[in-house]
Amino acid sequence: MRHPLQIGLSLLLFACGAMVAAEFDIEPRIPPGYQPIDADTEKSIWIELDDYERELRNSALLVKDKEINQYVNNAACRVAGDYCNDLRIYIIRNPYFNASMTANGVLQVWTGLLVRVSSEDELAAILGHELAHYTQLHTLERMRSLKNSMSTGAIFDLGLAVLTGVSVPVGQFAAVLNLLAFSRDQEQEADLLGLRFMAEAGYDPSAAVRVWKTVIDEEKNAAVKSLEPGIFSKTHPGADERVKILESLIQKEYTDIRPDPAGQRKHVDMLNRYYMMLMEDQLDTNRYGRTEAILLTHQAIGVDSNMVNYFRGEMYRQRNLDGDLDKARNSYKLATRGDRPVADAYRNLGYIHLKERRLPEAKHYFRKFLEVQPDADDRAMIEFYLQEQQP
Amino acid sequence: MKKYLFAMILSLSTVACLPAYVAVEPGNINYDGLIIKTGQAWNLAPPAATPSARKGSKVWTQDGILLDRIMIIPAVPDGESLFVTTSKDQALPVFKADMLPNEIEELTESSLVKLFKEGEVVVQTSNLRPHRFGEHNGLLFDMNVAVSDGPNYRGITGAVIEDKKLYLIFFLGAEPYYYEKHIDEALVIIKGARV
Repeated sequence: MRHPLQIGLSLLLFACGAMVAAEFDIEPRIPPGYQPIDADTEKSIWIELDDYERELRNSALLVKDKEINQYVNNAACRVAGDYCNDLRIYIIRNPYFNASMTANGVLQVWTGLLVRVSSEDELAAILGHELAHYTQLHTLERMRSLKNSMSTGAIFDLGLAVLTGVSVPVGQFAAVLNLLAFSRDQEQEADLLGLRFMAEAGYDPSAAVRVWKTVIDEEKNAAVKSLEPGIFSKTHPGADERVKILESLIQKEYTDIRPDPAGQRKHVDMLNRYYMMLMEDQLDTNRYGRTEAILLTHQAIGVDSNMVNYFRGEMYRQRNLDGDLDKARNSYKLATRGDRPVADAYRNLGYIHLKERRLPEAKHYFRKFLEVQPDADDRAMIEFYLQEQQP
Repeated sequence: MKKYLFAMILSLSTVACLPAYVAVEPGNINYDGLIIKTGQAWNLAPPAATPSARKGSKVWTQDGILLDRIMIIPAVPDGESLFVTTSKDQALPVFKADMLPNEIEELTESSLVKLFKEGEVVVQTSNLRPHRFGEHNGLLFDMNVAVSDGPNYRGITGAVIEDKKLYLIFFLGAEPYYYEKHIDEALVIIKGARV
């Protein structure tokens, strides 16, 4: 006999599925090439957003590298289809998981998102979701409501910052979210329409489910919840429930689309190319539980194993709990295998041995480091230790 | 007339409440065992202007702390952080007395990320090198700090561990003008520090 709770859950899921099916005929509310029409409010919001975009263009945190921009732009344009020309994409160097889109077409992608998705399909799932907020005028509605309720520019600026994530300290970000959070209906609409955008572009819709599962898994892996707060999970609550709704819709509507291995390869190639920058920023957050979860994913999807092992070593060495130095040593050794050793792994092996007062071993690894990277910018420091007679 | 009087009293009381910068005269200064020699006068920022500074830390500036600053952090004991925070979310890294130069560099980098507000800043350090602070071996390294809505900063950090305590000084100046303007004096101060 089934437990009443199971029956209740089944009924709830059935109801959700029925609701989803009924609401899936959502159409974009604005056509491609849309321009603001409401002279009083909408145009003024666009003007302020244009000012904001000019500031964003000059931000020191903007990632300007051509190849990473090309990768994200191509995926965004493929998802956006006829809306492609309405988008301007900005990749922001920020180690947290977030993307956002303003009412005038500014689509921001944080580097922390690129680190956490596993394939172009998963990236497309996020981009489709954000595009749907844009085509349904959700952001405009939020900003209009804010503008109507509060007249001061400062508050408006704060609202804009919350919408985009730029210039808002993490703590404040969470504190003002209630003011501007998308409604549950808006989030669901963006989920469903986003799914359609990505499916019509030939991306695998089940990637949307995988993204949510990644968010859930990372939350579980946060070593100390209060010290490892997430952002995307705060701005997009109810991930468990949304996974169920998306799964139900995919089973109903999209059984014939499969992941494209080329999409995963492209993503892994991008990660390999920018791994040092992306993961050093992640390490600087000091959120070791999350870093560990990210590294596990990278290992599974085939990111350069030497680099993954190097950052695993970095994570263990910097965390420095009981037994971590041994784990770091093993990881660094793995990072030096093959014909493309990570030079910094030799250096940090040297430092680990130095810490253990094993000077000959430390010198051995320091010498290896300088052999592999003779122009190291910390050469003077390493040479200082090579000349030391006592640990 | 009453209105003007009220405005005047209000203005005066506002001025009285403003935290004051205090002049640091040229000469030797001892901050909790860290002796610094400056050849020119600096402005010592009031604690209210630097709420993240730990007790005993000092911030000097010439043109304002957003444009240039020397931060002096003396005698950080084992297990404590370089800065203070009231936020539980910040996960500030802590100093350990057995830290090696590369770890002091990482500690500073990670702490500055928190100081400048996480997610709004990229801190990069380079050129880690040894430096002798009087009779003690210490280290120097260079820094670049990019903030989302401000100038780029460039600077240098000097640090030494003595008696299981960390003594650290860094200079940051907005690029290019304020960095160039103050780097020479900052180098004299940092390299000449003694414990």
